Amino acid sequence: MQKIKKMINNMNLQKVRFIIQLFSFILFVYGGYFAIDLGSKLPIFACPYNGEAAGACYLIPLQHQLSMPAQILLGGAGIAVITGLLGFLFWFIFLNKAWCGYVCPFGTLQDWLTYLRKRMGIRYSTYSQNQFDKLSKIKYIFLVIVILFPLLMGVGLLGGEWSAAFCQMCPARIISPALSGDFSQWTIDFSSKTAMVLTALGMLFAGLFFAGSFVKKRFFCFFCPMSALHYIFSKFSIVQLRKEGSKCTRCGDCYAVCDMQIKDIADNVTDVNILRDDCILCLKCVAACPEDDALHFDILKFRAFSSTKEGFEKRMGIGRPKGIDDEH
Amino acid sequence: MVDFIKRDSSDLFKNPVFAFLFKNSRFLLMLRVAAAALFFYAIYYGFAHPGKENIFTGAVFWGVFWALFMVVTLSTFGRLFCGICPHGFLGKYITKLGLKKSMPKWMRNRYIGITLLVLGWWGIYYTFDGFWKSPFNTALMFGAMTLFAFILYYLYKEMSYCKYICPIGTLTRAYDKISFTKLETYTDACKDCRTFECAAACEYNLKPFTFAKKNQTDDCTLCMDCAASCEAVKFKITKPAEQLSSKLKILSAEVWTYILIFASIPVSMGFAHALNRSNIADAFIWNRTAAFFGMGDYAGGFAFLYAIIISVFFAVFGLYLASKVLKKEYSSTFTTLGVAFIPLFIFASLGHTLEMFFVKEYQTIVHGFAQGFGLNIEVEALAKRGDGWLHYFKLFKWIGVIWALVILYKRIKLIDATKFRKVLGYFFASSMILFYIGLNLYTGYVFSAYGAKSGGHGAHGSHGGKPDYRDAYPKEAAEPQKGGYLQTPIDPGEPFYFSLSDPSMKQNSRSGHGFGGGRPGSKKEVPTQSIWLVYGAMNDKKRYRSSTLDIFYYGLNRQEKPIIEKSSRGKKVLSFEVPHNGYYNLFAVDESQKGSEKFYKVAKLEYLRGMHGAEGKYDPKIKKALHQNRTKIDLVRLKDKDETSFFYKHSMGDTLTFQALFENRPLANAEVEIALQSGWTKALKTDSDGFVSIQLIRDYFPDWNTFDKRFKQEMLITLKHQKAGTHYLLTYPASYYPNSNDYQSYGYALLLITLTLLIAGIIIYRFRRNRTTPFREVTVDAED
Repeated sequence: MQKIKKMINNMNLQKVRFIIQLFSFILFVYGGYFAIDLGSKLPIFACPYNGEAAGACYLIPLQHQLSMPAQILLGGAGIAVITGLLGFLFWFIFLNKAWCGYVCPFGTLQDWLTYLRKRMGIRYSTYSQNQFDKLSKIKYIFLVIVILFPLLMGVGLLGGEWSAAFCQMCPARIISPALSGDFSQWTIDFSSKTAMVLTALGMLFAGLFFAGSFVKKRFFCFFCPMSALHYIFSKFSIVQLRKEGSKCTRCGDCYAVCDMQIKDIADNVTDVNILRDDCILCLKCVAACPEDDALHFDILKFRAFSSTKEGFEKRMGIGRPKGIDDEH
Repeated sequence: MVDFIKRDSSDLFKNPVFAFLFKNSRFLLMLRVAAAALFFYAIYYGFAHPGKENIFTGAVFWGVFWALFMVVTLSTFGRLFCGICPHGFLGKYITKLGLKKSMPKWMRNRYIGITLLVLGWWGIYYTFDGFWKSPFNTALMFGAMTLFAFILYYLYKEMSYCKYICPIGTLTRAYDKISFTKLETYTDACKDCRTFECAAACEYNLKPFTFAKKNQTDDCTLCMDCAASCEAVKFKITKPAEQLSSKLKILSAEVWTYILIFASIPVSMGFAHALNRSNIADAFIWNRTAAFFGMGDYAGGFAFLYAIIISVFFAVFGLYLASKVLKKEYSSTFTTLGVAFIPLFIFASLGHTLEMFFVKEYQTIVHGFAQGFGLNIEVEALAKRGDGWLHYFKLFKWIGVIWALVILYKRIKLIDATKFRKVLGYFFASSMILFYIGLNLYTGYVFSAYGAKSGGHGAHGSHGGKPDYRDAYPKEAAEPQKGGYLQTPIDPGEPFYFSLSDPSMKQNSRSGHGFGGGRPGSKKEVPTQSIWLVYGAMNDKKRYRSSTLDIFYYGLNRQEKPIIEKSSRGKKVLSFEVPHNGYYNLFAVDESQKGSEKFYKVAKLEYLRGMHGAEGKYDPKIKKALHQNRTKIDLVRLKDKDETSFFYKHSMGDTLTFQALFENRPLANAEVEIALQSGWTKALKTDSDGFVSIQLIRDYFPDWNTFDKRFKQEMLITLKHQKAGTHYLLTYPASYYPNSNDYQSYGYALLLITLTLLIAGIIIYRFRRNRTTPFREVTVDAED
């Protein structure tokens, strides 16, 4: 047991993560070729506009259900919304935000763009703390769009062209099908003014997606309404990221490796639950932490992956410790 | 007494909303007055309208009070039911006026209440089917109990009736331990208290300041008198059933309540309702015993009796063996471990009650109250029996089982014994739980192996007194047939065709966006598609009627099946089953004669079902044209290579290719006419192999503001042929939509994305060039 634990704590996280991401990318972009269907309640951007995805993003059924005419929605059909949410939660509780960091094909795509940039020797960009605080709220605006627009459609204030308004704007609708060779979404729909504006925004966001995620790690995740939806329920998940503030030396390694630039991970030494709304649970911070058990990834109360001095040194390629830790 | 206290975040009184709901004495008084008024009005109504037409009394007592309100509150906030009970509310005033004697010892026996409930209510419920459905019986029972209660309140002090005699007093006391709230006090504040206002305020003569230490609340009914008297009283949120993970005093009467209620409700229901609905009902012992005594009508009573005997046997014998294995006294083992049975009843009942609420009770309650207060409200039930999501409620009883096992594990930890003895003791103590698991699995097995009795679920009236309101109203007279018959006879040469819309309904060209397609309904229901046979112009369809029609269709298996007219809401409708996505070919043949001329008319419809959420992948094999011998003339569409999904739609500019067949041989040089809904027509001829290609023209030029990309252009293709004095005629309706190329632009999209990339690239580049502070690339994650 102790041995297995040591092995896990010493693992090469990047390699493990790459393999999992590759596997789930194939599954959620090309899974249809293997006749896999995991339903339409997935907490990731597995876009159903891509006919070959092995499952669909939950935001699609959510928007469709909420856009039912109000009298149908309130007259019992609203139960479908609740069961849909339960289906979403069923998936969600097992991985929490690790869905973003490990499974979401759209996130994986951004990671690969980052690898590409690194190969090309171009440096990356960051936000200032001020920008971060402001931009971080955008995903909640998107979440409001996901929920509010269909409801307005249902009561008749918005017309049918607003159906799945967020999807019209979502870059995943444009990019995901393209990955399986379907470019039919790369259009601007001029059938009505609303459709024109929404699809033009979609194209714009797709362009920004490529430009942004090339220079900024996980550029889109920052604005993702799914991430906002995750955060609302993240407390109910069986997996959590926890921090023991007393063991933290505030060296800042965790913040430096964080793709999402979450400052709390280094600064906050009081909260045990250190999972923040932007977090994608990639666990890089745990891997980069040189203190024993300061950060740990828990499944229920079991510490599945903890930061250890030994693991840190192994990952950093430093030899056996020679009093090096005292000097720090 | 404490005037001010800093409340914990776990204290419900900290929240102003909850403090108002649970503590505000004026609000509580109003609530209790309302509950009492409703209670007495329902009793009065039961006496005034003793017949079955009275659904109000049943709705109040068996719809709201018992089952729904009781079960939901007991498992969440605790004994709220007692907090607003009219007996307790008025009893307090009666006690104040009364004689305040001590209750005699023989009456201070909690088993009186339980016996009244189990034998008096449930025994009658099972033995005399429908006894409590009668509003009169209900009103009589509640009236008598009220009178009896008031007499005892008048005679005895300290609300002894609630504690000992009330049939649900001990039940609520026992089951309230599973809730996630607990009334207690801030003990730090109580340390200095010498006046004990809380105890003085309590009509039940309890001592709220000891509740925290005792880890239980004795007979507290959450009347909140103590909370009004002293600020140190709190209403704490705990983990559900947290009390049970540490030591507390439990009365053996409470454990007996768990066992007997479990036997009377989940187990008896399982026997008398579930298993009795199976095909092998007669083989069960309770039915055999009833038959042996010749009391077949009272078989439910025997089922109840057996349920009690079997449950008590498993509980008592299991706990007895556990006490022996653990080497502890039987009575202490009984109370320590027996408390683990709490969730069994409460969750099974919660699941069932909620399911019934959605299926039926909601409607009964609303209609009942509408009757009682003379309102005119009609509502539909919230769900249909068999709706998929209702199955979630079936999970509740398994939650109960698992939780019972968890509580038992926590309780057995409190006992001091060796590990081996504890494991063995756990096994014996859980025998009643294991019996319940077995009963549920067995019920499932019986129904899957032997099936349910025909006659359905109707015989089972849930928890007693709910007369079916539908009997109270006469059935609506069937809608008289309208139109169609009196019109002029249809000319035999007039072509007729299939329509997917009802010609008697005025409709706009826009196809509405369908809802609910994604939700698979009940598994038993095969989806159907309605169709109409019409004639005349496409803008003015008239219902086609003929006595010589022969209608049939070919489904996915390419087997021929007839289409039969069915009545639906007073109208006759043609419909066929569309269980899966794919192509369906429909034909209607009508032969007629006019003078020397014979007419052989065929209406054909190729229907592509594409429902989201339906299973099945589009297999190119299904594109193969269907050839059949039933009709002499046929027009077969050759599917396009772009046609690769169930959601395919023809669009403007597409070319449709057909092959005309006569007696299954290509029909050369035959007349083909295309007519659009907009009025445009064109005549074509088939080539030497019977082929004809039709290009779908764009005949839709609206303004941008009114453009609708879901505009549906209807089209009718007519094939004509003449041979040996017979006119052969075939119609093939189709519809198509604006071509997406007419309103979607790849060019602008590519321009936009290129510009975005360019501008963003330039901005990033400029920004980086202008940067003066040196950039420090972090290399911690660069492992290679």
